[in-house]
Amino acid sequence: MRFDIAVVGSGLSALIATRTLQRAGRKPVLIWPGLSSLYFLYATVDVLGYANPTTAEAVEDPVSGVRQLIADHPEHPYARAGLPALQNGSSLLLDWLREAGFNWQGTLDRNLLLPTATGTPKPSCLVPTSMAAGDLHRNEPIVFCGFDGYQDFIPELAAANLSHGWNGGSRNVGAVRVPLPGVKPDRLFTSIDIARSMEDATFRRDVAERLRHAVKDDRARLGLPAVLGLTHDTDVHVEFEKETGHPVFEIPTVPPSVLGLRLFDRLRRHLQETGIEMIWAAPAHEAEVANGRCLRIHLKSAGREQPVEAKAYILALEDAVDGAWRAGAHTVRDPFFHQVLAQHATPGERTDESLFAPQPFAAIGYPVSDRLQPTHQDGHPLASNVFLAGGGIAGYDPTGIKARGGMAIATGYRAAQEAMAA
Amino acid sequence: MITEDRETFSDTVEEEHPVEACTKCTACNTVCPVARTTEIFRGPKFLGPESERYRDQHEATVTAGLDLCSGCKLCEVTCPSQVSIQEYIRRAQNKGAREKGRTLRDWLLGHTRLLSRFGSLTAPLANFGNRNPLFRLLMERVVGIHRRRPLTKYQWLTFESWFKRHRKNPPLPLGEGRLGARRSVAYFYGCWVDFNERRLGQQVVAVLERNGIEVIVPRQQCCGIPAVVNSNTDLARKYGVENVRRLSQLPAGVDIIASSTSCGLMLKHDYAHLLEIPGAEQVGSRVYDVCEYLWMLHEAGELDIEFQPVDTRVLYHAPCHLKSHGIGYPAMRLLRLIPGVRVEEVDEGCCGISGTYGVKVEKYDLSMKIGSRLFEAVKAAGSDSVLADCETCRMQVEHGAGSRSAHPIDILARAYGYR
Repeated sequence: MRFDIAVVGSGLSALIATRTLQRAGRKPVLIWPGLSSLYFLYATVDVLGYANPTTAEAVEDPVSGVRQLIADHPEHPYARAGLPALQNGSSLLLDWLREAGFNWQGTLDRNLLLPTATGTPKPSCLVPTSMAAGDLHRNEPIVFCGFDGYQDFIPELAAANLSHGWNGGSRNVGAVRVPLPGVKPDRLFTSIDIARSMEDATFRRDVAERLRHAVKDDRARLGLPAVLGLTHDTDVHVEFEKETGHPVFEIPTVPPSVLGLRLFDRLRRHLQETGIEMIWAAPAHEAEVANGRCLRIHLKSAGREQPVEAKAYILALEDAVDGAWRAGAHTVRDPFFHQVLAQHATPGERTDESLFAPQPFAAIGYPVSDRLQPTHQDGHPLASNVFLAGGGIAGYDPTGIKARGGMAIATGYRAAQEAMAA
Repeated sequence: MITEDRETFSDTVEEEHPVEACTKCTACNTVCPVARTTEIFRGPKFLGPESERYRDQHEATVTAGLDLCSGCKLCEVTCPSQVSIQEYIRRAQNKGAREKGRTLRDWLLGHTRLLSRFGSLTAPLANFGNRNPLFRLLMERVVGIHRRRPLTKYQWLTFESWFKRHRKNPPLPLGEGRLGARRSVAYFYGCWVDFNERRLGQQVVAVLERNGIEVIVPRQQCCGIPAVVNSNTDLARKYGVENVRRLSQLPAGVDIIASSTSCGLMLKHDYAHLLEIPGAEQVGSRVYDVCEYLWMLHEAGELDIEFQPVDTRVLYHAPCHLKSHGIGYPAMRLLRLIPGVRVEEVDEGCCGISGTYGVKVEKYDLSMKIGSRLFEAVKAAGSDSVLADCETCRMQVEHGAGSRSAHPIDILARAYGYR
């Protein structure tokens, strides 16, 4: 199969790269190996939460923070992608979300502080409007609301943690639980199940009614696990605020993330509706290179390998989850060029004992050139028309500094620009 | 020092215990059309890899709700770790059916070819019966086929008989292949074309011959998917072995094409993986979906693109099993080559019928509920017809949305002037 530009991946960086190419009048194809990080990790787009993984002080102005990070670390993926890629990519995303009928808000120069499911404050930059009322820079009291039998959000825990040190403590933070209508107590259910039910107006009104009775403080904002609809979220949130009579904000829960799922589904569908072809169920591997250019990559399709030829290729894979690399006991290789990406005496060297410390495996990836091309160890590009975006880049560890979304946007946007010039 | 004999650790795990590739991310549950529609279904993650870890071939299969899986394979399409989720469910379903015994209905539905041959031989009577409310009520009570499900119309003249005649008098009503007959293909037409929609088979032959391709129709058996979905993999394997034997005898260089998405997927993938038929990989590597094949011709500069304009606005519904092929949407690409054709994708997921699933009395309502989003979207769009590569998707869209439907080849044949 021949295409203009092939984008491999299904995460935010792949979607941004595809959209950038589409907006520029190119005809990309999106080759996805299965659902990716958007389903597990995303709720908001975080550009920079902390200046480094060990500081406790949140960054107030992400764009200035990134400028500083680029100056201090010229090898960082943000530095490779460049600040304009972050800025242009972010405005492309916000425009796109608006066009796709999705309400998001925020600017690159200000972080909101949003409560997590455990009641800790988390700096976030671009957020769905349904989360914005949770900003801890505001002073209205907060009541966390949970549901009987729903195990992934414990309102009492969130309230107890948040009341340590925020806005006058427990006077202004509360917790309530209500039973969900028609749910038998022995049934195990997830946020996805509730989100689907919330699209039914009768169910939603019933829940709102129960919460209105349970919450005594008229001034309070209500913090709910993210369950306000799976596809019709904007309407559900607006109606639910009216029906409860309180400002309402959503809090991300454990995977699969309803917020990430909404984002991915909306953007993927919008791409398809606007004529972008997707090749499903086809993991890509094996780049054939001649004279410094990639001639084709191969897809593992049903029955046989399917060659895909394009003018340029963007590998927007989110590390091992999407098959960006394969780990053996000692060696980590990439499936496209068979480069050795990391070598360890024991697999234990890849992990830190503390779950909350930076993990060495997160930084494994392709070394890249200034144009985001994957390179040999000596810095020479493996192929002049292949570009990396997202987690496949070496040194790409967005977790500790809370920069996953921003790094995906910046590298996705930049890789698309480079692919068009290749 | 540990030796490097187990180089790629994860490969080894996948080879020895493929189920361990599941990271329990739950992506499959979020796309499962059945789990989306009924809360009594526990979803592919639980019924597939999670239960598989505890299944033992020497113990009875006790997982409740297994038979609600419709086999659309969207879980596998979605899985970031390429776990064969649905194959685990399929094997367990089959084992359960072997232990408990199959119903007459499921036995019958598994023997689609037998049923169709009977329907075709008695076509006027069978078609009358299938539309007679009293007979349908009786069928629902006795056999368990839902009375509101429209059943396929049988044709007395089979595709196979038509093709024999077609071969005898070289017709080529559309003129010679303009680019010279350099390719030969074997057409796996399947039971649907043979007994129900001969016209589609004729169109496929016409389009291929128009492009100078010699069409061979080898003797063939049912692909076996009706047997697979009715938990009878033994029967499916029997069919599959026969097909693999016949198709293996084709001369080298003859490609195999299928016009039914699910037949094609059986030949390409399930014979080798689910049914483990020897020699199936070689046959599978020669199989193409008909639109995939035509697109390949186009990329090779061998497709006649002198199309007559076809002034029509159509919706394209991508069948779930087409997604499993991993080839994108070749039909959409082909249709965009034809002047006058305005084609839009209607992306509302599974239509709900899943072959014989939506025919069953206990699953009809669920099947219609799964498809309701698609039906609403089709009604709202108000197009001339809905195109889908899969025959049961077309049946379901016609029934649920009251719209016309066709295989994408229909438009292509019209663009070549074939009536």
